[in-house]
Amino acid sequence: MIPDDTTKTASQCRHYAMCKIDFLGTGLCPPGKSKHYVSYYPQGRMDLWCALANGLIPVTERLVDIASTCTLCAICDKQCHFVTGMRPLKVMKALKEYVSDHVSRGGTVTRVESEPFLESLREIVGEEWATNDPAILVTYSNDPFPLAGMRLPRCVALPRTKDEIVEIVRLANKENVPFVVRGNGGSVFGFVFTDGVVIDTNRMKGIEIDRDNWVAIVEPGVTSFELQQEAAKHGLRVNAAEPAATVCGNIVCTGTFSTWSNAYGVGADNFVNMEFVDALGRVFDLNEKRAPNVFSFQNEVYPSPGICTKAYVRMHPIMEDEEGVLVPFSSFPEAVSFAKELSARRIGLAIGVLGGHYISTFMSPSAKLAEEVKTRLADALGIEYLVFVVGDKYARGAIRRMTETVIDNRLLRTIMLGLPRLVESEWADLITGLEGDKRPYQILLREEMYPLLETVLNPSPRTIAQAVDEDLRDFYADLYSRPQMTDLLWLNTFRIVSSRMSRHKHMFAFLVYVPLDDEKVTQQLVSEFARIAEKHSISHDYGFLTPLDFGKRAIFEYDYYIDHTDPAEAVKIRNAMMEIEPMLDGASARTKGVKWLKYVFSQGCSRKENFLYT
Amino acid sequence: MAGMRSTVRSILQRRDAKTSTFLITGGTGFIGSHLATALLKAGFPVVLVARRRGSLSARERVRALLDWFELDEVLESRLTVLEGNLDQQDLGLSEQAYANLLEVVDEIVHCASDTSFSERKRPEIEKANVANLDRLLDFSAKSRCCFFHHVSTAYVAGKTSGVCPEDPVKQEEFTNVYEETKCIAEAKVSARCAQEGIRLNVYRPSITYGDSSTGKTLLFNGFYYPVKTVVFLKNIYEKDLNENEGRRARQMGVRRNGDGGLFLPLRVATAASSGVNLIPIDYLVKAFMAILSESLCGDFFHVVNSRVTTLEELAEFTRRFFGIEGILPVSEEAFQETRRNALEALFEHYIEAYGPYMKDKRIFDSSKTRAILEKRQIVCPEFDFNVFSRCMEYAETAEWGTNLFGKSR
Repeated sequence: MIPDDTTKTASQCRHYAMCKIDFLGTGLCPPGKSKHYVSYYPQGRMDLWCALANGLIPVTERLVDIASTCTLCAICDKQCHFVTGMRPLKVMKALKEYVSDHVSRGGTVTRVESEPFLESLREIVGEEWATNDPAILVTYSNDPFPLAGMRLPRCVALPRTKDEIVEIVRLANKENVPFVVRGNGGSVFGFVFTDGVVIDTNRMKGIEIDRDNWVAIVEPGVTSFELQQEAAKHGLRVNAAEPAATVCGNIVCTGTFSTWSNAYGVGADNFVNMEFVDALGRVFDLNEKRAPNVFSFQNEVYPSPGICTKAYVRMHPIMEDEEGVLVPFSSFPEAVSFAKELSARRIGLAIGVLGGHYISTFMSPSAKLAEEVKTRLADALGIEYLVFVVGDKYARGAIRRMTETVIDNRLLRTIMLGLPRLVESEWADLITGLEGDKRPYQILLREEMYPLLETVLNPSPRTIAQAVDEDLRDFYADLYSRPQMTDLLWLNTFRIVSSRMSRHKHMFAFLVYVPLDDEKVTQQLVSEFARIAEKHSISHDYGFLTPLDFGKRAIFEYDYYIDHTDPAEAVKIRNAMMEIEPMLDGASARTKGVKWLKYVFSQGCSRKENFLYT
Repeated sequence: MAGMRSTVRSILQRRDAKTSTFLITGGTGFIGSHLATALLKAGFPVVLVARRRGSLSARERVRALLDWFELDEVLESRLTVLEGNLDQQDLGLSEQAYANLLEVVDEIVHCASDTSFSERKRPEIEKANVANLDRLLDFSAKSRCCFFHHVSTAYVAGKTSGVCPEDPVKQEEFTNVYEETKCIAEAKVSARCAQEGIRLNVYRPSITYGDSSTGKTLLFNGFYYPVKTVVFLKNIYEKDLNENEGRRARQMGVRRNGDGGLFLPLRVATAASSGVNLIPIDYLVKAFMAILSESLCGDFFHVVNSRVTTLEELAEFTRRFFGIEGILPVSEEAFQETRRNALEALFEHYIEAYGPYMKDKRIFDSSKTRAILEKRQIVCPEFDFNVFSRCMEYAETAEWGTNLFGKSR
């Protein structure tokens, strides 16, 4: 008997794979780290629980191993709660108990027969690293994307080297078996599924730092977080995206964009070279004259050039005096205009225009607190948008001369660690009652007010920990005692809070490159996204915008939020897409500089000029 | 200019028979609700046009108010609530409801207003105080309304010093958009009523606070806001003293007094011979009802206090009631010698908006009002410590407005 509440929790897994990186210093799920298959990680066990509940898989030998190797260490509870607010430990326990029960009652444990193709794979990668056990396959068959159905692969293989990938590709071609390659599957757009073989690069974790050439050479299993950690050891930084996304996959798929793209660019700006295994199993790198021209761009859905087996990622110097700041605004046009000016004047490195949902979600350890913070920021303080900037002391000095109110790191720390007090009604009522021509934030966030704010908010790790479940408060108090947890620069470099944006519901992100010289273009797109969402009763919000190429262009995100387990929500998204696609295609045809990321997908190695200025 | 729609005699006849129906706008607001209650108690049928707020319908909002005023069923039976909105065409009413209302309204009491001062809210303030008034005046022109009671403000006098007469204002300089729009509104209502033959009384109260005998109020702005702010600061520093060994209190120079109170170093800028003109709501209501009864030809009336309350007095009352020492009214020059601390910086911004009213040197002539009120022995209660105490006791019970109706908002 499988209880409903555990299934409900399990079905809400967002598949962002944060449980596969040690982003909180808790360590990793022990069996996941050693076994590498998704099924051995908490994400996989969540999927397995759902699969059992829906009768999709039997209890197999592999499932018994997966269940028995879980130590119930509760690392997943902390990691997952930090990102999604969920408590997966109960699912891990339930799975363990279910399988143990099944076995002790003499239930059938299926042994899956091998087949010649699988044996051939095993000859390439080793016995342990290729399988057709359903307990493994099922966790590579689905993700929260509501418009794609489940596709159970035939096999999963985990190669260790480029040469193994070459052999797998050649074998698959010879046997006419389709294949896909997968990093951490965090794209959640239904792309990495196949009826054939899934090549999971999780074992390929090599990172080599070439300091002289400012390059990090990474294998395809290396995540953004892991690379950023390694670069930081050398006093360097990379332009990296979501922390659990694999670097190679991210570059190829999306061209890696982030708030750092203001300075570091997108697309081909991110790398010096890349090595691929193409669809026929041939190896090439982009510095070869005979290599395909991946720097070009076609405004259509285009296949990737192959499986990236190595990326030579550009690294950038870090100044010791860099810090992050936030500049509040009450309107979108003002915020965008400011961000654009910073970019055009080369002030700051990372720049982003964040909406209320993003900033409140990033700051808040619980969804409930995030909702309250978002309301208070807008209603009480008059803050609707914030421009986030990382800059050295000269850049920050310039920003202070350009604008009246700047939230520096000291103030952010006060606000974050005092967040539960910020939303208390007594304080909020007081702020709301402030009359006068200045907005409340212009009065309250001044430097002379800091001592008062610190008294009101009583910022401390204990204060912010009050926002979470009681049994997690000690953990959160300890976590927030670390300076980096309230350090804008660190948080933006390692991006451990960015996947919180889907905490309340799974996110359907629309990413569009836009021209910034006419701010109405972006505003119109925002209005259209909002209109279509309202029409189809879909929860929605503005995400972020980052200027590019000295403020000439920008990338912006608008998000729809859905319960991916609800078929009715899938219908809504499907219907909305029927309006969104022509809307975006039309905007792209009419206005130079508007490009939907859908067409950049898999052309991420392109020169940005080829998709921003054609 | 038209002849009057109704004779004084016919107005009095209908009032004596209690058949005059009063339409009240802003009837869920502080002043409007009190005037509506007074009219109901006087036996008149009252119609409130009120808007929804959030999930609460107009009726639900009024229901909460009726309980607050402890009105009995007899009085309630004279009240009609219509869900509408002055922002909209035909007052946001259905065609039929609007048509019905045209037929029944004899007198209008216009209290609906946006009392914000902020220039950045100008569009909303102009809409509420001017554009919405136009819609109401259109209604009154089409209806059988014979008397318009316009609740304005003494501060239409604008930037002036000396005596402000109880006459139409010819002013072009104002402290803020609220004063400006209320002045424009007076001009509009005067012109339109003259054109339509509708008698007009303009009531200009000064800053209105709670009931002088019970302390009850629906609004906690005006002088409540700075007192609330001081009390809030007291509470947070006491918490710091109790829980954090007063680390932050010490940084600000906040300390306990020997008698258990708190010393808050808070200098507040003021001007010599100035203060705030405060009237309690019960006085305003009595004055309104008296003027309504006596002024049958229409006129302008200042409903004000003959004496201002100084900042020194407010500081002293606060000290006595809340045990908060250290609030020190000083001249602006004092801040040039020693910069403002965080508490004083917060107050500076408050005073910036309310400053003209806290440091008021205007003298409001109220001879016409006094002539009516003295006949009825209506006197403005003095704002003394006892009145202050009652107001503060109520404010604390109502949690400064967050628990007005017995549950959190």
